[in-house]
Amino acid sequence: MLANSFLNSEKDPDFRMADGSTVKGPGTQKLQFAPFCSALEAGFWHQLTQKKLNDYRLDESPKSIKGYYYNGDPDGLPTRLTLEFSAFEVDGPTPVRCCPATGILYNTNTLEAFRSIDKKALLDTEASEIWEAIQSNAALQNPSILNKFILLTFADLKKYHFYYWFCFPALGFSEGIQIIQEPVLLSQKFSPKQISALQGAYDGLCTTNNTTAVPYFLIKYTEEDVTAAPLQEWEAFFTDLKTVTVGVYDPCTLPQHPGWPLRNLLILIASKWGAQVDLVEVLCYRDRTLQGTRSVQHSIIFQVKLPDLSASTGCPKSVGWEKNQKGAMGPRSVNLSECMDPKRLAESSVDLNLKLMRWRLVPTLDLDKVISTKCLLLGAGTLGCNVARCLMGWGVRHITFVDNAKISYSNPVRQPLYEFDDCLSGGKSKAFAAVERLRKIFPGVQNAEGFNMSIPMPGHPVNFSEETLGQAQRDVEQLETLIAAHDVVFLLMDTRESRWLPTVLAGSQRKLVVNAALGFDTFVVMRHGMKRPPGESAESSPSSSTGTSSSSSSTPGPATLPAASLFSNIPGHRLGCYFCNDVVAPGDSTRDRTLDQQCTVSRPGLAMIAGALAVEMMVSILQHAEGGYAVASSSDDRMNEPPTSLGLVPHQIRGFLARFDNVLPASLAFDKCTACSTIVLEHYEREGFPFLSQVFNSSHSFLEDLTGLTLLHQETQAAEIWDMSDDESI
Amino acid sequence: MCGEMENTEWNFRPVSMSDDTDSTAASCYLDEKTFRLSCGLFLEHSSFLNDGWAWEEVNGSEKEGYMKKTVMVPCRISSTPCQSNQSRLVDGDDALLEEEQLCDQDEAVGEPTAAEGQAAVRYEYHVLYSCSYQIPVLYFRASTLEGRSLSLEEVWNNVHPNYQQRLLQGPWDTITQQEHPLLGQPFFMLHPCRTEEFMRPALETARAERKGVNYILTWLSVVGPVVGLDVPLSYALAVGPPAPKAEATTAASTASASASTSGPD
Repeated sequence: MLANSFLNSEKDPDFRMADGSTVKGPGTQKLQFAPFCSALEAGFWHQLTQKKLNDYRLDESPKSIKGYYYNGDPDGLPTRLTLEFSAFEVDGPTPVRCCPATGILYNTNTLEAFRSIDKKALLDTEASEIWEAIQSNAALQNPSILNKFILLTFADLKKYHFYYWFCFPALGFSEGIQIIQEPVLLSQKFSPKQISALQGAYDGLCTTNNTTAVPYFLIKYTEEDVTAAPLQEWEAFFTDLKTVTVGVYDPCTLPQHPGWPLRNLLILIASKWGAQVDLVEVLCYRDRTLQGTRSVQHSIIFQVKLPDLSASTGCPKSVGWEKNQKGAMGPRSVNLSECMDPKRLAESSVDLNLKLMRWRLVPTLDLDKVISTKCLLLGAGTLGCNVARCLMGWGVRHITFVDNAKISYSNPVRQPLYEFDDCLSGGKSKAFAAVERLRKIFPGVQNAEGFNMSIPMPGHPVNFSEETLGQAQRDVEQLETLIAAHDVVFLLMDTRESRWLPTVLAGSQRKLVVNAALGFDTFVVMRHGMKRPPGESAESSPSSSTGTSSSSSSTPGPATLPAASLFSNIPGHRLGCYFCNDVVAPGDSTRDRTLDQQCTVSRPGLAMIAGALAVEMMVSILQHAEGGYAVASSSDDRMNEPPTSLGLVPHQIRGFLARFDNVLPASLAFDKCTACSTIVLEHYEREGFPFLSQVFNSSHSFLEDLTGLTLLHQETQAAEIWDMSDDESI
Repeated sequence: MCGEMENTEWNFRPVSMSDDTDSTAASCYLDEKTFRLSCGLFLEHSSFLNDGWAWEEVNGSEKEGYMKKTVMVPCRISSTPCQSNQSRLVDGDDALLEEEQLCDQDEAVGEPTAAEGQAAVRYEYHVLYSCSYQIPVLYFRASTLEGRSLSLEEVWNNVHPNYQQRLLQGPWDTITQQEHPLLGQPFFMLHPCRTEEFMRPALETARAERKGVNYILTWLSVVGPVVGLDVPLSYALAVGPPAPKAEATTAASTASASASTSGPD
């Protein structure tokens, strides 16, 4: 029944018309063959690449290769000639139950050579060799000569693009082959007994030949029995030459057509015995196992009348170049960069590795949000290096460094993006060297850039000359541009005052700021509060609370947030920044200090811990629906349902390495903050650089006067209130 | 293969530690020798069935190898990724390379009929032994006839919609891309982290019923269908565990008990 439906579908009107031979009944129909369809395994291309790089190099001379075909396919599969990685080992084993086909590889060095090589001549040469082998009887001894192929390739190994063109040379009868008896399924012609005898005879032949497949064989059968013999025993095997039956190991699955390997066999028969043989019965032997059950009854059998070629001496005309996927006479091509280009492989591996987290552990993790985040790292030292590495671990592709220092001998051991060689001859610029190393570690980091520049600081005057002033202005503009072009700003510098400018700029631009700072064995990692966008009505700032140093702050927050107290449920827009806890403005912290006070002297593990926490905090914030506006989690929330798939979104992580302990405090923005208070932001937004340069050039009293800190100092001193209440412990 | 996923491995390991102390529980682990012997028995039946499994040696060395099977699956050109534009057109100037003079295939079946609709995807399955997990691992890849590997998304799109629903809940989510440890080429892998989930009950049941189990067969009949690999039923009747003397690491008493009830025949 299945067979019938196939027969019907094969009588496709288009097909018949295209062919010109509509159904006229048996006797007038010409036999048609299903051409081979080339099938290449990825391993073949890998191996060809290796051969080209290591053995062939510029050698274009023809090479012997080997393919195979199989007669056990389920219906619907194309008739294939397969080449795998073992194709270059001509003497290697053929897969079990497959027939080998030998071929010649022409690998050209240029696409031009591929284009201009004379395909007709290549085919003619191969065809006449087949014809020679038929005439000399060599093909009888070794019938696999009848199944040769040519493979033309050009490998563009820069792009991992491969062009290829197969040819399966077949000699043809100029007038075609007349079908005498139309193809039928073997089960329609043979009894079950005959079929099993045939199977036995074929298996016996394989055993005798010490192989698992025989490409061509001779058959004799009666009601009771079937016998088979190899091709070269023709004369002895067939006593009656009127009608002979030949078997061909047939890779085709079409119910009406034999596959390509039959073509050259029929030429051989016509050339050797065309004068004597009347009719040739052809068994297209198909032998498959489905679900553990072997079957040959779907083989097809038919009879043809062969023209007599025994008198002809010239090689018959030949065909065989394969059409491309568009059905045109042209080469095929394949782009394998995804599985062969090491850079592409690294990228997909990194991404897949990250996806594992989502598949197995955190199904709701939004990885794209993390991967596409543009990160600006201010500082490429101990913290910067560790933050960058951890960002790469998360698959972040866009990492920008800002630093003005050079790599010194003490750096590489603590700063994992640098090596000893980077310190030589005065040392490379950190910002540039860091980018270079990132690309080496993972070429997928395409958007890595370094900026060797200084960040102007309060209390570090820039008004020595026109030039220094101009430079400072350009630096500010550059930093403004950079912050605008990124999503997250990491503050990873080694001084307090250098964090002031980016805090103001990023605060004004409403960018997420993640700040990490180290002590000797303590650290703080925090996100800055993110003010509401300028358009939105700012809720009354918590002016009643005057910061952490005042006892009056124990009054509850505004009525809009009844649950919010000073230390819990603080929304992102009311959180403080790095400077909010200070009652002095940032100034020159390196002046009048000994060397050990100027440098960051910290336990070596601290930067790794803090750097990693800074990145993980960013990732957790990104997973929160409200991002930087998310309510701050505190240590008390550790037992509650976490707000994101990755857990808590704290305001600060303060770590104490001596105790191996972290706490998660949260604090409100301070309305007299020297960096993020409304008055500072407003001055910056209104006046721009003139205001900033005033800050750089003045002592800390300028900012303190502006924000009202000076007044606060005077008040507190006057009142002499120093009542640190007991409940204010963290 | 080793050491890639400490995290998962760690989740997995503690079970094995408890195994070591509790001799009555079935071990989900397999030593390499038993792996080889179990594969051998499996391959024996495969060659009897002509089921296509073969043992592949790496660099001709006896020491390293894997069990391999290739399956071709027909697919329609239009509806599948196996012939998608990106796979065939590399420059778009292919037309320049066409040569009309070669167009004279008189006796070929009209290609439009034969070739259209007759595309195929090649699925390649490898069974490897993982030293770090001490269990078998299934690697696979799918590729077009040109040799281009399909992405996981393309493989997924080739899964019948009826199965997609089921697989989403099942172990499909453990498929990951890994370099083939022996070939160095990118493959997909069914991550071993769930192996214990289904092997433990199977092995414990078999133990309770005093039946011998061929680990490879039991394991493959569970993980195979997930990625379109069928294991015919007749294996279950024909393939038993390796002979007891081969099971070097199993306690002698339990091994002989299990083997005496059913051995390979």
